[in-house]
Amino acid sequence: MTSDITDGLDEVKKKWEGVEFDLATFEVTEQKMLAWAEALGEQDPRFIDPSHRDFQAHPTFCTHLVSRRILPEDFPVLGSSGIDGGKAIELHVPVRCGDTLEAVAAVAEIYPKTGRSGTMVFVVQRMSFTNQNGETVATVDWRMIRN
Amino acid sequence: MKFEDVELGDDLPVEHPDVSMERVVQFTEAANQKFPRFTDHEAAKAEGLPGALVPGIMSQALLATMVHRWAPGCRIVKLDTVFRGHVVVDTSVTIEGAVTDTDDDTRTVEVDLTVTNAQGRTGVMGTAVVSFD
Repeated sequence: MTSDITDGLDEVKKKWEGVEFDLATFEVTEQKMLAWAEALGEQDPRFIDPSHRDFQAHPTFCTHLVSRRILPEDFPVLGSSGIDGGKAIELHVPVRCGDTLEAVAAVAEIYPKTGRSGTMVFVVQRMSFTNQNGETVATVDWRMIRN
Repeated sequence: MKFEDVELGDDLPVEHPDVSMERVVQFTEAANQKFPRFTDHEAAKAEGLPGALVPGIMSQALLATMVHRWAPGCRIVKLDTVFRGHVVVDTSVTIEGAVTDTDDDTRTVEVDLTVTNAQGRTGVMGTAVVSFD
């Protein structure tokens, strides 16, 4: 009897969707902000000139900030392999030099999809970043595809 | 550029970003992701890859940078990218975008974006929501 990657998926969804599993803290420095923007060839002074009145981190800066765990400790292994399906970032308040960002990692969604190569399961990890003032600065969703 | 200057269907200027090994190494250091699959062609090939890969988040960030050059001073509110295929370091890469929606109430536009690899295949596709405050 062959097993399908979606076997037992409803139970996995019920147990893990919405679960917060890690907390991480990141210090935002001028050096890190500039290194990111300059590596992209960014020319907008808001992101490369510390003397600019609106100096801030590049909007994609938070995509590289990761928690210690990608998924919860006991999260089941789905399928036999995985690929990176992409990231979605939503931005709120700009990230500024000197900010201390606190990020909560959670399992946001788990869902199946069927394509030409068969059935896959998408696991979305969400990191929600707030600054030292309690303001939400960004949300990053990371889609991991298991098959 | 102001919101009033943008028309549905407008194309963003096509760009060919620098994805040389030197630039990708610089990025992986900034991203704290200096892994061999991104910085060493031979190590990547040993993993079954066509060569060292441009990190997905670098492609995503290059798309954002293109949006900034198209509309200086704009604010990217959302950027969603799907990593569809390999974008190889030290190859010719094309990034393009087109305005697919405009919203007069929120003064935002939606832009569809693509990163195409040297073989003409889409490596990354995405959508940005851009605000003109």
